[in-house]
Amino acid sequence: MKEKLLSKLFDVENAHTISVYIQKGGYKAVQKALKEMTPEKILDEVKEANLRGRGGAGFPAGVKWGFVPKGTDKPKYLCVNADEGEPGTFKDRYIMTHNPHLLLEGIIITSYCVGIHNAFIYIRGEYEVIALRLEEAIAEAYAEGYLGKDILGSGFDLEVCVHRGAGAYICGEETALLESLEGKRGNPRLKPPFPASIGLFKSPTVINNIETLSNVPFIILNGADWFKKQGLPKDGGTRIFGVSGMVVKPGIFELPVGTNLKEIIFKHAGGMKKEKTLKAVIPGGMSAPILTPDEIDIPMDFDSLMEAKSMLGSGAIIVIDEETSMLEVLRLVTKFYSHESCGQCTPCRIGNAWINKTVNRMANGEGKKGDIDNIVRVASNILGKTLCPLGDAAAMPILSIAQKFRDELESHIKDK
Amino acid sequence: MSPEFSEQTRKKLEEVIARYPQKRAALLPILHLVQKEIGYISGAEEKQVADLLEIKPIQVREVVTFYTMYNRQSVGKYHIQVCSNLTCSLLGAQTLIDYLMEKLGIDLGETTEDKKFTLSTVECLGACEHAPCMMVNYDYYGNLDKKTIDKILDNLE
Amino acid sequence: MVKIFIDGQPVDALEGTTIFNAAKEAGIAIPHFCYHPAFEPEGTCRMCLVEIEGMPKLELSCSTRVRDGMKVFTKNERVVEARKGVLEFLLAEHPLDCPICDQAGECKLQDYYEEYGLFDSQFSEVKEKRRKKAQIARNLLHDQERCVLCRRCVRFLKEVTGTNELGVFERGNHTEVNILDEIYVDNNYSGNLAEICPVGAITDSDFRFKTRSWFLDSGDSICPHCSRGCSISIHYISAFHRFPVPKRVFRYNSRKNPAINGFWICDVGRYNYSYLDDNRLERIINNSREDNLTWETVIPFIAKKMRRLRDMDEASQLTLILNTWLTNEELFLVKKLFIENFHVEKIFFVDPPQGKADDILLTSERTPNRRGAHEIGFEIKPLDWSMLSENTDMLLVFGSFLTEQTKSGEIKTHLDKIKNTILLTPHSSDLDALVDVVLPTTVIPEKSGSLTNVDGIVQEFSPVLEGKGESRPEWKILIDLANLANADFSVKTFTSPAVILEEMGKEIAFFKKRQ
Repeated sequence: MKEKLLSKLFDVENAHTISVYIQKGGYKAVQKALKEMTPEKILDEVKEANLRGRGGAGFPAGVKWGFVPKGTDKPKYLCVNADEGEPGTFKDRYIMTHNPHLLLEGIIITSYCVGIHNAFIYIRGEYEVIALRLEEAIAEAYAEGYLGKDILGSGFDLEVCVHRGAGAYICGEETALLESLEGKRGNPRLKPPFPASIGLFKSPTVINNIETLSNVPFIILNGADWFKKQGLPKDGGTRIFGVSGMVVKPGIFELPVGTNLKEIIFKHAGGMKKEKTLKAVIPGGMSAPILTPDEIDIPMDFDSLMEAKSMLGSGAIIVIDEETSMLEVLRLVTKFYSHESCGQCTPCRIGNAWINKTVNRMANGEGKKGDIDNIVRVASNILGKTLCPLGDAAAMPILSIAQKFRDELESHIKDK
Repeated sequence: MSPEFSEQTRKKLEEVIARYPQKRAALLPILHLVQKEIGYISGAEEKQVADLLEIKPIQVREVVTFYTMYNRQSVGKYHIQVCSNLTCSLLGAQTLIDYLMEKLGIDLGETTEDKKFTLSTVECLGACEHAPCMMVNYDYYGNLDKKTIDKILDNLE
Repeated sequence: MVKIFIDGQPVDALEGTTIFNAAKEAGIAIPHFCYHPAFEPEGTCRMCLVEIEGMPKLELSCSTRVRDGMKVFTKNERVVEARKGVLEFLLAEHPLDCPICDQAGECKLQDYYEEYGLFDSQFSEVKEKRRKKAQIARNLLHDQERCVLCRRCVRFLKEVTGTNELGVFERGNHTEVNILDEIYVDNNYSGNLAEICPVGAITDSDFRFKTRSWFLDSGDSICPHCSRGCSISIHYISAFHRFPVPKRVFRYNSRKNPAINGFWICDVGRYNYSYLDDNRLERIINNSREDNLTWETVIPFIAKKMRRLRDMDEASQLTLILNTWLTNEELFLVKKLFIENFHVEKIFFVDPPQGKADDILLTSERTPNRRGAHEIGFEIKPLDWSMLSENTDMLLVFGSFLTEQTKSGEIKTHLDKIKNTILLTPHSSDLDALVDVVLPTTVIPEKSGSLTNVDGIVQEFSPVLEGKGESRPEWKILIDLANLANADFSVKTFTSPAVILEEMGKEIAFFKKRQ
């Protein structure tokens, strides 16, 4: 297997401190970027590397940075999305806990490339302990001159601070994140305008996921071609896959983009726990349509999963065994989305609650004929009709479970 | 009754507000700080925070009621929040929730008589590899079973 | 301009306009709840989704701007299905209140269901229970179950009045609009909230259970309660009504006028419509020694006295008390007849007292035509009793506002000194017994004419209601009087207020109409 990149230092003691990090070769990327490269060159390199967003949407980072207008006199902002709310996802927690300086390097290089002097790390409120660790790392970076004014004598200034959320999955959506950062309810905004032109405090803003930014130093040090070789030409680098559920070894596994899903589950995560049989796999966080056992022999990259009518998303793999009721899975899915819906737009607000009520009634043994058809119909009325992607994130798994496990769901309905 | 913030908290509040180009942006961090000091955010705290940030109390309440982490009334010394999302449920979260309800003698959302523990469920905590998980105040505990829960609670004074 | 296609037909649209507005200009209505032209698009109700050729998902017409060559479909199968979907969601959590809801007949949910819905409910779950019939203002009731969360009310209080009494609380399907604790909505524009609410979530207690919207006709008029001259719509009972009602007018609604009041009216004007029906004078009151005064005889009676005074060179004994509720035309006629022909000098104005202005619409002058009086050339002198009763043989009083400022006892003392007192007013009051003759006049919505607002905008208006009983408009009385008093101006050509206004334009530059 190719060498580990982001997770290389995860098991090294105190690698979260700047002294150990530098000892292990840290901050060389920042030095190269600020001293030897122009912002334009950095942008070209990142675009060429096909670094796709690792938060869930998979949008190419270089292209996103390119949308920021050049000759603007408005201040520009970088928002680091550390909301990590997609169920099944825990990879960013590792980066922030064990290698926060890698993240800071990525932040510095990105900001330098786009001309940003203020970065906010929006971290989910529950990660209080991790937020403290980030603040420590930031303080160390300031002390050593990697943050603040005139970094390494380059003339480039950058202020970074941590901003804690307060318990809302929707704030992982980029425009809801902006609203929350501005001190308001996490209601997603209409797009257009896009954050690249009107974002935080009405100024041009780039929003990127933790893992995405943490890949940037590697691209700078080794170049775009190298980065593509670590993964796939159209989807470069590695992914930190998180496997949880009924497996022997749940945890994170940094592997090349395109690694086979079956291999991840059975080779790296040790296969099914207690000899249970595999029933279903969610490949990319709860929002990804579910896969049946005969569908998991696929490479884990954005395009392959889209072809399989699912999605790579956050690379969070949840393994479900034969003894688990799919009605229960459906119930947990609808419970989550109805709880997390911001409530702004009609289909998501009412549709998710409706489906959740129906599933609860079914779980109580009061299912009626036509309930599943109704769930499918209501979910279809949510899909594609909402203001933000949460509606789709809810409708897609619901539709996939209702479609692929229909018989099992129907079996819960006594009144036929 | 107007809440009194300690000198330390007051300083921290000023520091946090200074980080943002608009005062209102400090609202979420400020509410966390206030909650840490007072324990919850009621009408009096809303008014204080509104004055501090030059916004209206109604705008503070809109935010407090949107986010799940802000307590609107006091909670026990230890707020136990058990994850009830997918992976944790697959690995037995419900059994542990039932166990905790029985052990503490309270229902979800309630606080023990001695005001030591409040119990509630929560959505995905982002620690699924250690399922089933819970959070006590903001400390994470994973790989739980009845025995480990007993041990954890015993160690909480 | 760009050329787009809506439902196959070519439409010319202003560059940068939204699909919604381009369609509206072309006469195509797109259903919506949260969109309101006064505010930036919200995009949350999802009702206005349309199909744009080449785009995979349906797009919002309220916020998507037109591009040259764009092909939009507003009523194809896919769009109608989407609308049904939104309606179904809203109705799923909506209470079956139509029989007791004031909004019935003017409810967007009802209207759209009739046009796009007509399906049976497939909702078998328990609806959320929320607060109903909650007082959120002195004049407003709030029903959270009916609310569709369009948030127009919240946006109004944020952007128009800046008072933010309503907020949005909780999350997901528990989201609710509410006041903060006991802090009620308390501003001069609260009535607009009931108007902009597309359903019966916010209703006006002034209108509650009084009648049904389908019994009401409406007519355009101008609010006369301050000098802003906001455009209003008077809603009155139409001919058919199941049971007798004590009044004609049931409410004012606002009417859009970008030049004056935008989309809104204030509460001072909105709730002040009962004067149109209460206390109305319908007959001539005769306290004089002359018998049998009818409209046929009373004008000659007054004219004769006026001619006598003029012949005896004592026209200065004529005194007038005017008010600035009189229209431009009426004031002009007063000027021509009394000032220019009869050389009357003692002219006073008695108006209702001034009030506090706000910085949105309401002015401190609580009459509609002070500016008009000024432009016609009147010096608005307040009443001086000593000047008035001295050397006054005949007094004509327009309006009963005297009683608001002075006690009847005192008025009687002064009026008793004057030989002939004539009162022209729409309302009965204590003054009626103190004068010789009372002539019933019409109110503004019962006549035509024009008023000049505080900014100098001249607004013409037409009658909406019929005059009560025998009442006549002041302009007609003045013309008849002028004819019989042999006034020296071609009053015969003054056949209607419109003609009078045109004549005014020839004589006074201010009133010359700009084409």
